[in-house]
Formats: sequence, structure tokens, C-alpha cells
Amino acid sequence: MEFSFGASASKIIHSTGFSDLAGGDLIMIAVACTLVYLAIWKKFEPLLLLPMGFGCLLANLPLSMMAATDSGGLLNFFYQGVKHEILPPIIFMGVGALTDFGPLLANPTTLLLGAAAQIGVYTTLIGAVYLGFNMQEAAAIGIIGGADGPTSIFIASKLAPHLLAPIAVAAYSYMSLVPLIQPPIMKLLTTEEERKIKMAQLKPISQTVKIVFPVVVTFVCCLLLPGVTPLLGMFMLGNLFRESGVTQRLHETTETHLINIMTIMLALSVGSSMTGDSFLRLETIKIIVLGLLAFGFATAGGLIFGKIMCKMSGGKVNPLIGSAGVSAVPMAARVSQKVGADADSSNFLLMHAMGPNVAGVIGSAVAAGIFVSLFGDMGGAADTHAALAPVIGNPEPGIQALATVVDAIKQ
Amino acid sequence: MEVSVLAAVNVSILAMTVIFVVLTILIFTIQMLVKFIPYEEPAASQKVSTGSPSGQDDQVAVITATLAAHMGKRPDEFRIVNIQSR
Repeated sequence: MEFSFGASASKIIHSTGFSDLAGGDLIMIAVACTLVYLAIWKKFEPLLLLPMGFGCLLANLPLSMMAATDSGGLLNFFYQGVKHEILPPIIFMGVGALTDFGPLLANPTTLLLGAAAQIGVYTTLIGAVYLGFNMQEAAAIGIIGGADGPTSIFIASKLAPHLLAPIAVAAYSYMSLVPLIQPPIMKLLTTEEERKIKMAQLKPISQTVKIVFPVVVTFVCCLLLPGVTPLLGMFMLGNLFRESGVTQRLHETTETHLINIMTIMLALSVGSSMTGDSFLRLETIKIIVLGLLAFGFATAGGLIFGKIMCKMSGGKVNPLIGSAGVSAVPMAARVSQKVGADADSSNFLLMHAMGPNVAGVIGSAVAAGIFVSLFGDMGGAADTHAALAPVIGNPEPGIQALATVVDAIKQ
Repeated sequence: MEVSVLAAVNVSILAMTVIFVVLTILIFTIQMLVKFIPYEEPAASQKVSTGSPSGQDDQVAVITATLAAHMGKRPDEFRIVNIQSR
């Protein structure tokens, strides 16, 4: 074989990534470095943003075969776990193993705060449709308001996989910003007197109730909304590992090593989907803005319902715990505690806020189940707007119109 | 566009209604569970006095000597008042 120094050198130069480096790649590498910076130096959700940012960096190095779409590449294999909705439910199992339902069981009416906070999901859905997204895309964007990363990824991968990267980045970025986003809204919507309200100590709950609860929730919710089963079923299984007391090894593994391994794989997969083609679009900016609105409306919804509960209970409920209904466990509950303590340093709201906080997890999973029930079977092929055409001709609101929506979607 | 927004509003009202119904069912379920399975105080753990049962004195002596060696103190500088069995 004849060896030519010049030809070989030229071949090596042309086989480097530098030769294929485009403007979009450079911008995405800058985005990746920003995520890594925020994770390491600003401590914004570092467990997620660090691997996500590095996955983005790897995916945007030309010829590296590390993008989620590079068939046969390492991160393409990881991405199958997102595409086939495997990783988010396993992470939910770990979250379940970490969750104590005691405060919720002691004060079950706080479940309503978790329900009220889902208003953020639906105001964002309406906003997204207004901005031109179709119904599946709007549902995937709206679920950012559930403030639950795995749920957002689960729904985005199911209903709008092409928007997965910006949705995941928006969801996790805003979750890390909960301590900055929520307090101004909390102070705006509550009075000083309301923030000073001290709540009665929670009553203790039987261990048997704690064991039966996850089984009952699985039975009730998964029968009512089968689409929620992968998320809620795994969540409750993890909690049963915790509460049963007979699966200590499984509990320990689930709440530590398993959730950590799955988090690495999930974050790298999402990062690998952040290529210039999928991320550098006008839709990304819209999603970032809508995500912020989603968090704001969710917080406001929980707070307003908290004020209603305060009035109805004769001032026994501090409305600040309503903001914890946005999920984002346990950060949102900590914010309730902090704002309450700012008003009165002897006010301890943390355990009271944990009730609506875990209720928010259930609420956002139920909201996800509704989206799967409404839009999940339609895949990407059907045009939701066309399917909803019968409703378009029926401007009358009310039960009949709602029933028409369901029928139209089923058809 | 307006029509799509109207459809989104309808979907939102329907979904919020479903969420409140599902979570209200859960509230009643929890209230039933708590009513029929009330909390019971756990049995108080058995505390063992250091002096009373035979054989405890030897254990106290061994633990005292070990702690004294570990902490670098004389055995008479501290006193073990209770051994609690698991």
C-alpha cells in the first residue's frame, strides 16, 4: 500500500469533528456549557442539569455519534428508555420510595390543594394552543405546570417527542427556580395575617393505613385513568417498598442507587436530544415563556384555593401551604415554610406543606393520565384540531360540549 | 385559532373536573381508612434497670470498661444508668 504523507494528513484533518462543526453546533455547545455552569456554580438542579448539559455537549460534537437520533450510538440506546417510557416510571418508583404520605393522610383535604395547583397545567395548555401549537403539543407543554420532571418527560415523549428537549429543560430549570418564582406570588396573594396563621399539629397515622394507601390509590386511580398506570403504579410500588417494612433491601436500592442510575441515563438521554435541529427554533422560546407562566399560575391556583380553605375552616389553614401543591417535592414545601417563617419565626409549616406537596405529585400524575386518555391513542398521525372540529361548530359551553370533546377525540 | 382555544378551554374544564373528582374520591377513601384503622400507640419499649436482673451487672461492667478505654476516662468518672434491649 502506497503511503502519501500529504494525503494521509489531509484525510486525518477531514475526519476530525472540526471539519463538520456548524454554527448550530457551536450555539448548542454554548447552551450545554451554560447548563453545566448553572449546575456546578449556581447549584440549579445539579443532579439533572449536569448530566443533561454534558449529554447536550456530547450530542453536538460532530461525528461523535452521541445524539439521540444517531442510530447505534451509545446515547441512542439510552434514549430508547425515554422513547419507550421506561425511565420516567422507574424514577417515579424511586420518588415513591422517598415519599412519606403521613402528612397527607393526616390531613387528606390538602389533596384539593394539589388538584387546584393543576390549573397551571391547563392555563398553559390554553396559552400554547393560542400560540399555535396543536393539542398534543400543548398538552405536553402544559404539563410543565405540574412541576414534575419525570411526568413532563413521560408526556412529552408520548405526545410530542420532537419537543422533548425544550420541555425537559424548561421543567427542570423552573423547578430549580421555585425558591425565586414562588415567594413574590405568595406575598402578592396573601396578607401578613394569613401568613402568620399557625396550624394545629398533625395527628399520627396507623402504619397499616400507610401500607394500604398506595394499594388503594393504585386501584382507584389506575382503574379511573389507565393512562396514568406506568407513572402512578411505579410511584405507589416504591412507596409500598418503604412502608411495608419487609422489603428493606428493595427500599434502600430504589431510593438510592436505582433512582441515581436512572437519573443519569434519563438526563443524558434528554441532553442528547438537544441538537441544533430540535432546539434552535422559535418554539423553544415559546415553551420557555409558557413554562414560566405554568409555574406562576400553578402557584397562584394553589394559593387561591388555600385562601378558600382558610375562610371555610375559620382561619385554621395557612394559605401558604397551597403553593406547595405544585409538586416540586420537597422544594415547594420548603418555600412555604420559609415564607411562613419570614412572617412569624415561630411558625412551622413544613410538615403541613408536605401534604399538598405530595398531593401535587398525585395531581400532576392524574393530569398526565387525563392527557394520555384524551390524546395518547391518537399518536402523531391524527390531527387533533380536525378531531375536535365538531366542537368548533358548537360554541355552547357546558356538559354537552365537554361530552362532545371526548367523543370527537375518541373518534 | 379562536375555535381551537375554545376546544382547549373545554378540555381544561373537563380535565380539572376529573382531577377534582378523582382526588375527592381519594379524600373519602383516606377518611374511611383512618376511621376504620385508627392509630394505636406502640407498646412502650421495655427498659431494663442496671441493678435488678442478675447478669446485667456483668454487662454494665464490660460496657463501662470498654467505654472508659475508648474515651480515655476512669470508669468512676461516668455511670451507665440503663441498658435498653432491641
